[in-house]
Amino acid sequence: MTRTRQHRTRLSRRNTLQLGLGGWLGGSLVSALRCVAEGKNRRRRAADACILIWMDGGPSHYETFDPKPEAPPEIRGDFGTVATRTPGVYFSEYLPKLAACSDKFTVIRSVRHNQGNHGAGNHYMMTGAPPRIPVGCGAFVSFHPSMGSTVAKMLGAPRGLPPYFSMPQMSRSGGPNFLGARYAPFIVNNDPNRPDFRVRDVTIPRGVAEDRYSRRRELRRLVDTLPRLNDEAAADPVDTMDEFYEQAYELVSSPQAQKAFDIGQEPDSVRERYGRTSFGQRALLARRLVEAGVPFVTLYEGGWDHHSTIFSALKKRLPVFETAVAALIADLHERGLLERTMVIALGEFGRTPKVNSRGGRDHWSNAMSILFAGGGTPGGQVVGATDRQGYSAVERVLSPENFVATVYHKLGIDPGQILYTPEGRPTMLVSDPTPIAELG
Amino acid sequence: MTASPLPDRRSRCRPWLRRTALFPTAFHFVFALGLLPAWSLVLSSPARANDTDGAKVEGKSGREAIRSSVPSFELDVLPVLTARGCNAGPCHGKARGQNGFKLSLFGYDSDFDHAAIVGGARGRRVFFAAPASSLLLRKATGEVPHGGGVRLHPDEDDYRMLLEWIAAGAPRRVAGEPQLTGIDLKPRRVVAQPGMAVQLTVTAHYSDGSRRDVTRWTTFSSNEPTLVRVVEGSEPGRLQVGKLPGEATIMARYLTELATTDVAIPLTAREDRETAASLPVANFIDQHIGRKLQMLRIIPSASCDESTYLRRVYLDLIGRLPTPDEARDYLEDSSPDKRARLVDRLLERPEYADHWANHWVDLLRPNPYRVGIKAVYTFDEWIRRQFRENRPYDAMVRELLTAQGSTWHHGAVTLFRDRRSPEERTAIVSQLFLGIRLECAKCHHHPFERWSQRDYYSFAAFFSQVKNKGTGLSPPISGSEEFVYDEDKTVTQVRHPVTGEILEPRPLFGQVPPEASGLPLRQQLAAWITSPENPFFAQVAVNRVWAELMGVGLVEPVDDLRTTNPPSNPELLEALAADFVAHGYDFKHLLRRITASQAYQLSSSVRAGNGIDHRNYSRHYRRRLRAEVLLQAIDDVTETEDRFSAMPLGSRPHELWTHRIPSVFLDTFGRPDPNQDPPCERLPDTTVTQALHLMNADHLQGKIADPKGRIARMIADRDHYPTPESIIEELYLACYARFPEEKEVAALVGRFPAERSQWTPVAQDLLWALLNTPEFLFKD
Repeated sequence: MTRTRQHRTRLSRRNTLQLGLGGWLGGSLVSALRCVAEGKNRRRRAADACILIWMDGGPSHYETFDPKPEAPPEIRGDFGTVATRTPGVYFSEYLPKLAACSDKFTVIRSVRHNQGNHGAGNHYMMTGAPPRIPVGCGAFVSFHPSMGSTVAKMLGAPRGLPPYFSMPQMSRSGGPNFLGARYAPFIVNNDPNRPDFRVRDVTIPRGVAEDRYSRRRELRRLVDTLPRLNDEAAADPVDTMDEFYEQAYELVSSPQAQKAFDIGQEPDSVRERYGRTSFGQRALLARRLVEAGVPFVTLYEGGWDHHSTIFSALKKRLPVFETAVAALIADLHERGLLERTMVIALGEFGRTPKVNSRGGRDHWSNAMSILFAGGGTPGGQVVGATDRQGYSAVERVLSPENFVATVYHKLGIDPGQILYTPEGRPTMLVSDPTPIAELG
Repeated sequence: MTASPLPDRRSRCRPWLRRTALFPTAFHFVFALGLLPAWSLVLSSPARANDTDGAKVEGKSGREAIRSSVPSFELDVLPVLTARGCNAGPCHGKARGQNGFKLSLFGYDSDFDHAAIVGGARGRRVFFAAPASSLLLRKATGEVPHGGGVRLHPDEDDYRMLLEWIAAGAPRRVAGEPQLTGIDLKPRRVVAQPGMAVQLTVTAHYSDGSRRDVTRWTTFSSNEPTLVRVVEGSEPGRLQVGKLPGEATIMARYLTELATTDVAIPLTAREDRETAASLPVANFIDQHIGRKLQMLRIIPSASCDESTYLRRVYLDLIGRLPTPDEARDYLEDSSPDKRARLVDRLLERPEYADHWANHWVDLLRPNPYRVGIKAVYTFDEWIRRQFRENRPYDAMVRELLTAQGSTWHHGAVTLFRDRRSPEERTAIVSQLFLGIRLECAKCHHHPFERWSQRDYYSFAAFFSQVKNKGTGLSPPISGSEEFVYDEDKTVTQVRHPVTGEILEPRPLFGQVPPEASGLPLRQQLAAWITSPENPFFAQVAVNRVWAELMGVGLVEPVDDLRTTNPPSNPELLEALAADFVAHGYDFKHLLRRITASQAYQLSSSVRAGNGIDHRNYSRHYRRRLRAEVLLQAIDDVTETEDRFSAMPLGSRPHELWTHRIPSVFLDTFGRPDPNQDPPCERLPDTTVTQALHLMNADHLQGKIADPKGRIARMIADRDHYPTPESIIEELYLACYARFPEEKEVAALVGRFPAERSQWTPVAQDLLWALLNTPEFLFKD
């Protein structure tokens, strides 16, 4: 805990500086708005990419990054703790690998909100905006663009690469909302742990040889005789489609891009390191995509909603999870990519302090833990704290807005910018655009 | 006319200055030194050249000028705050305000604003003892850091007015002050030459009959800034016309009052009356379009050829491509009325109902995770039945709006399961069936319209007798049955959110038709909405259909009918709506009318500079096929079927009863996201992922190479397809609805090897190539 405190003192000085700076920046809001209109809303960025590990259902903070060994047994639960590399910081005993590399990431223990059901919690944490109307637990809702879609729009990706991947499915509120369908995630739903795995659509179809593919391309040129309008003022939508075809060809024929999709090129040792599980191999694929220039990858991992028998379930689940996450962080670090790539793991909320009669924990949005690595995030740090029994975030209480603003801020996207819906309604990207200063 | 408390221009804008001179207060002695030079500057500055333009302004006696010499909060202060952007949506006007200071959006709620300024922030915003130290002014001038930047300079009249108002004790009202009743924007219509400058003037009208020029406090915006730009800076109301021909609408907003001016910039070409007069006119549609094009000096494109018409009308009316045999029959038919007969045939096809119902399910269909599978299913069935039976539109909407019964048996009831409160019901009903987006007025006065919160909640009160009984929502299952019916008493009181007053049901305008009075409230509402007297009802319906066929609505977005978003051709919209009403709200009649017009039958190619036209139908606007239509087209040309979960075998993409049925293809091509609220119009966007999917998806490769598919069948059928030429022709007809040209056949035939057994890959590659061209993907 000493580390936390040290950091905070260092921060207060930085805070002061930033306040001063804020005054200067504030004065240029008008020009900032103009920049928005011109689409030049990027700031200097600390990271180029983000891998978001979405633990859908809401992982227990007790059994992951915020154990309470001194709490009474009905709160403490069955698990013990393990010391991390950070002096005085303990994780759940089922996270030894992450504990051993805690010097590479920050754990935030003090994000809290008031949306205790899945539909609303997902929306809040995934978009930084609470749902506009009350929504139910099972709801899949979208009132605001997700982080991934926003990043896709603001940063884009080179060489016809889709800028926003989500594997193996879209997260609940992971859509583009008013940004439009072109910023929806590119879903890769098949399993990279299977020997016949391929990323859909980005490579030559199965059963078509390469020379045949180029014959097809030639044939297409031959049969494509629809006259183009050849008048810029006419804004022929066919021209746009032509451009996309060019990009698509480029992607298919670029050896560099193709390498990114071919997880089979990884040596066995690396594949083993991530774990020979679907999740592990998806994490590895995410790293390859980021290397190729994709700015946002969501790894969707359902099934963290442990209303019953939480301990037996997590005993099986956590090793798979932490193997992949620890390997991803270490691998990115060794390749020098961690500096420019965020790795974030969280769900929509934490879980209830008291273990219920079915041996599970229920929804609890007063406390949750977030793993945050990369993009200049300090390692070995814990931000904020819950009370002694883990009921609620009490120190350095942060909001989902702060969290989402941090992600945007690191990617050089101004979280305070105003977006306009197609109806012309001004909408703040994040209503409280203050990033979490401790994350650098 | 009573004498106005608003003096004429010279003294009018500055009554407070005169008062300052006559009745100095203690404060003024203190600050007079600093202000004097600025006064003299203002008083001696010549009146602006355009002061005498536009409306004349009534004069008034000096005596009254003194009486009203304290600036009025509503008539002087709020206009300044609005003109300077203080209460705009991104600043203090947004729902949460900005840094603790919240104003009503564009000043619609003057009581609230006065309280916020005078009473908020523990009174720091105004400082009576030293007005210039008021936070309101120090922030606005940037004297203290202000997130919104410098909005006002101390040497401006507006600044001095605010200062004066504060010095006078920041009164809420000045004795005898009149109320703003409306504004007048001049000129309303401009035909401009490229490069021209245009000056607009805005005159405010007040309840005592007086008027004044408020141009300088009016905010102007252009919907097409590249064509007509609002000049920022010292001359308010000045427009600069760009170099390109086209049309723009300029919106002027003074407080909550709105007005628009249309600016048309015709092509510089000489007017070609001869060609214009020789253009074919099929029905009234062409007359209205012709008049508009003539004004813009645009000559429309030529008629499209038969195969383009054939493909277009199939896709538009039934969402399918003609089969090669249907295409041959049509193209070889030489009778003069074959286009009209084709339309009649298509309207009787069963696919018509599914295709057109699909446009409506997009708008109405709830998420089964929210309302339950069975409720969505029955709703889907109900919507399809309306189109299968060709139900008149007014009858269909009346049934929907007054639906009672079980969500398991009567699909229309599902609307009232999905939208549960009077407020939610108001938003969807007004947008869908009136094209009036009331949603804004739920929380504040509509920023681009006349609708107030009172209008919104009075409309909502029509739903106050609706009772839901049974099992409510319990997502994600929500499987149970619910009943919706009307009580003959109030079930849900609807209150004004600010005043708390219980509101009586009241239509947005006009009256509930007398024959409906005394009926249950929903029936009264339905009678009012579907009344032929209500212009919005038919207009928004015909506009949707028109947009679908013509590529762009007369009003865009199609369900946003308001004075500040005028139709590109108001006469045509009115005529189409009148025709629709006169023919019993019959969609098939409307489709016959549109498809029969010359405008519908134009080619998409550009002629004589009409590429600049995007809204006046001088050419056909290309559009990518909708997700379901495109998948159906691929299924048809490959002779394969898709298999969907939760659907019987052999179901077609048009028949899916929810957007939740998984399909990577449909998602890629932009079917609506079922999670999104509010449901949106789908965009005909093209994306790189669409190109990648069409080129490389295993799913499509499988269809092309399907052993039961078209290629396999043709190769096996030596009798019908003896030669490569016959295969090429068949594929062209299937994909493009046209015969291949001779040179196309010549270029392709050599690719087929002599040995028939080796034709398969070549034919597959040809089909792949055809499917990946814009001629296939677009409706031309």
